[in-house]
Amino acid sequence: MSKGSSGLSEQTYFVLAALLDGPLHGHAIIKKVVDLSQGRITLAVGTLYGALDRLAANSVIVVEREEVVNGRKRRYFRITDEGNRIVEAEARRMQQAAAVVTGRHSLGATFA
Amino acid sequence: MTTLERRYRWLLRAYPNGYRADHGDELLGILLDSAEPGRAIPPAREAVALVVGGIRARVISAAQGPAWTDGLHRGVVALAMLNLAVLIPYAGGIPLWLALSAVAFVLVLRGHVRLALPVAGAVAVKVTAITMGHPWLDATLLPVFPDGPWSGPALYGHGGPIAPLTSNALIVAGLLVLASRRERPRARSWWWLAAVPLVAGADPAWLDIVAGSPTAMARVCLEVVLLVGAACAGHLTADPRWAVAAGVYLVPATAVLWENASVELVARQDIAHAALLVVLTGAAVAVPFRARRRSLR
Repeated sequence: MSKGSSGLSEQTYFVLAALLDGPLHGHAIIKKVVDLSQGRITLAVGTLYGALDRLAANSVIVVEREEVVNGRKRRYFRITDEGNRIVEAEARRMQQAAAVVTGRHSLGATFA
Repeated sequence: MTTLERRYRWLLRAYPNGYRADHGDELLGILLDSAEPGRAIPPAREAVALVVGGIRARVISAAQGPAWTDGLHRGVVALAMLNLAVLIPYAGGIPLWLALSAVAFVLVLRGHVRLALPVAGAVAVKVTAITMGHPWLDATLLPVFPDGPWSGPALYGHGGPIAPLTSNALIVAGLLVLASRRERPRARSWWWLAAVPLVAGADPAWLDIVAGSPTAMARVCLEVVLLVGAACAGHLTADPRWAVAAGVYLVPATAVLWENASVELVARQDIAHAALLVVLTGAAVAVPFRARRRSLR
């Protein structure tokens, strides 16, 4: 990640983005990240839970509730206000960075 | 239980017991839910992610409690193990001191620093006696040669007394600091014992890098792996405890340079080895501070 960014990797960015519409459990996060990234990012379970533990330790997400399904515990994770702020700031940063290139194309098209 | 579930359960053993008890079933449920029908072998990327995730969880769970004292304890445990490994080839000549060194190591390992202090102190005095050629504490026939299966020079016969004395002085000083604190260091895993024969076979007493023996190279490789591991652990946790332990090891490991500097016995390979240790220890020190600024990645 370039200097001056929030320090989010692409995987972490999509995990946080997946939680913007409400709390999700691990399996649902994996499926939503695949959808949001248009199939580019498929998180391995070990990788996802490493990211979730790290985000929870930094109070970017919290465990909203626990359910038991088929005898197995399932945690639902919710993004916090701090997490919202971070992912939105990252989105704005990437939008600004993208505009440097996409804006150039549209300018070129205008004056062509 | 299906073959796939059994294999996933086996891979989940990479995680610490507490983590597995709390979240093992949750991870297993997702792994099985997302598996292709009829699959018996976990996909390689899931297997690698579980092992890496387990190691990460173990490192993070190890970063509990005060970092400086825990790091100091780790460093003292490493030096006590090295001390013991150095004496193993000389078991026949100094059985009592080998036994006391083993007792000191186990006491330090299990966090009994106050009990370890007099034993480690006695070993330090004896090491001083052997390196200086004095008959302190008991009569030991000098020089002490290695036993049958081992080959090599006499005990501490390769180099002067500074390196072993520095190591033992650090052990005693570290134990004094740890013993002065109200909280006892935590007991470390018995798996450390498995490292003793490994270190004993990696040329702990006479590191002759110039000759390039396989055992000397094995020790350098071991040092590199452990110091890179310290840097990785610091990166994961943004915690300096592994850097403190690396720093404790670095002092006696480079002391031999100072010992030989005055008589111009230092070869360029020795300087390169010391520089490697300094650079890797420096990296282990710097990485946690850098990681604090990038904790969300």
